[in-house]
Amino acid sequence: MKIQLELNGDPHYVDIEPGESLLSLVRRLGAWSVRSGCDVGDCGSCTVLLNGRPVRSCITFAAKAQGGSVTTVEALGTPQALHPLQEAFLEAGAVQCGYCTPGMVLVAYDLLTRVDDPSADHVLRAIAGNLCRCTGYRKIVEAVRLAARRKAEGRWR
Amino acid sequence: MRLQGVVRYHRARDTEEALSLLAGYEGRGALLAGGVDVARSPRRDVEGLIDIAGAGLSHVKLTERGGLLLGATVTLTELVESRVAAQYCGGVLVETLSLFSAAPLRNMATLGGAVVSAHPWADVPTLLVALGAELRWTDGMERKGSLEGVYAGAFRELFRNAVLTEVRLPPCDGGFAFYKLRRSAADVAMLNAACGLGVAQGRIAWARIALGATPTRGRRLPWLEELVQGEVPGAELWEEVAAQVRAKLDTGDDRRATGEWRRKAAGPLVARALAQAVERAR
Repeated sequence: MKIQLELNGDPHYVDIEPGESLLSLVRRLGAWSVRSGCDVGDCGSCTVLLNGRPVRSCITFAAKAQGGSVTTVEALGTPQALHPLQEAFLEAGAVQCGYCTPGMVLVAYDLLTRVDDPSADHVLRAIAGNLCRCTGYRKIVEAVRLAARRKAEGRWR
Repeated sequence: MRLQGVVRYHRARDTEEALSLLAGYEGRGALLAGGVDVARSPRRDVEGLIDIAGAGLSHVKLTERGGLLLGATVTLTELVESRVAAQYCGGVLVETLSLFSAAPLRNMATLGGAVVSAHPWADVPTLLVALGAELRWTDGMERKGSLEGVYAGAFRELFRNAVLTEVRLPPCDGGFAFYKLRRSAADVAMLNAACGLGVAQGRIAWARIALGATPTRGRRLPWLEELVQGEVPGAELWEEVAAQVRAKLDTGDDRRATGEWRRKAAGPLVARALAQAVERAR
C-alpha cells in the first residue's frame, strides 16, 4: 500500500507493508537516528514525533503516518549547526554510548515545547519511559534544564 | 512489531464498515485505533488490520446530569488534556490517566484499547469498574452492559466480533481517589486501587472499592464495601480496613511482586485511597 507523509519537512509518497512499523519506515527513508531497541514499546530508543507528539515508532504502524508529519532529530540540528537542546546535551555530558540520546532529545524537546521551566522531577517524569543503558539520567536532567534556561534567554529555534 | 502475516490495512469510515471488514476475515482480522496493543499482540493469525480511529468515536461529552460519554477511540492524552474530562468527579479520571505509563504511549493508546485489552496490571479497568462504567458496543446490533458484567463474561471473544463504541460514566455524587504502587513513573502497577464513597451525616453512605494488579485485573471488593458502609470514616476505620484486606485478600505472585507483599501492601493502599476519597466527598 502507498502512504503520503512528511518526514523532517520532506514530502514522501512511499510503498509500505500493511503491518510495517513506523520505525522500519523512517529508517528505510534514511532517518537512522531512530534506533531499534526493545521492539515492544518499552525502552523509548525509537521515539519520533508524529504530528508533533512523541510516539514509540516500533509499535506504531507506518500506516498511521498517512497524511501526517514525522520529525526525528535529523530535523532539529546538524553536526555543523546543533540545536540548542543538542548543545545542552553535549555541554552537560548527557551523552555516553548515545543509543538512547535521539529518543531522549525528542521527549525533552516535546517537554520544553509545553513547559518553560521544568523542575528536575518534571524532567524525570518526562523521560521516565526512555531507558538509558548507561544509567546517566542525572546528566540528562541537567541537560534538559540547561536547555530550558537557554530557551528562556531566547536561544532556541 | 510482532505481527508478521498482515496482508491488508483498512481505514474504516464507520462501525458498519469496520464490522463488515472484520467479518470478511473470519477471525483473522483485528481492530485497532492507537494500535499499541495490536502491535504487541502475540497473535500470529492476523491478516487484516482494520483501523477505526477515523470512525467518529473520539467524543468526550458531559451529560446534563454530570455523567461522561467517552468515545472508544479517544486517546489517553486527549483525555488528560480534556477540560470536559477534568470536570468529571473531581478530576479523578484525568489524574489516573496522567499516571499511565509515559507520554509517548498515552499519545497513541486509546480508552477503548485499554478497556478491551484489559491487562491484569492496567489502571483503567480498576478505575472504570469502581466508577461503575457502562459500555456500548455493536456487533450489528447496538448493545450495552456494565463493564463489570462484560468482564465477568467471555469479553475477549466478544470483542473479536464487535466494535466497542462508547464508555459511559455515571454522574458522580461522591468522592473518588486512585492510587497505584510502582517502581518508577513509567512502570505498570504492582498494585492499584480505586475507591469512591459518599458521606452523609458523618457516616459512609455508600462505597465502591476496586483493587487491581493483585495480580489479576481490577475488580470490586463487595465484602469490603459492606464493611465500611454506615461507619464513621477515620483512622480507626482505615486500620480495620487494612487489617481485613490483609486477612482476606486473595493475591498471587507474578514477576513484579509476590502475593505476600501484595497482601501486606494492599490494605494501606486501599485505606489511603478511601481517606482521600472522604476528603473529596466532603
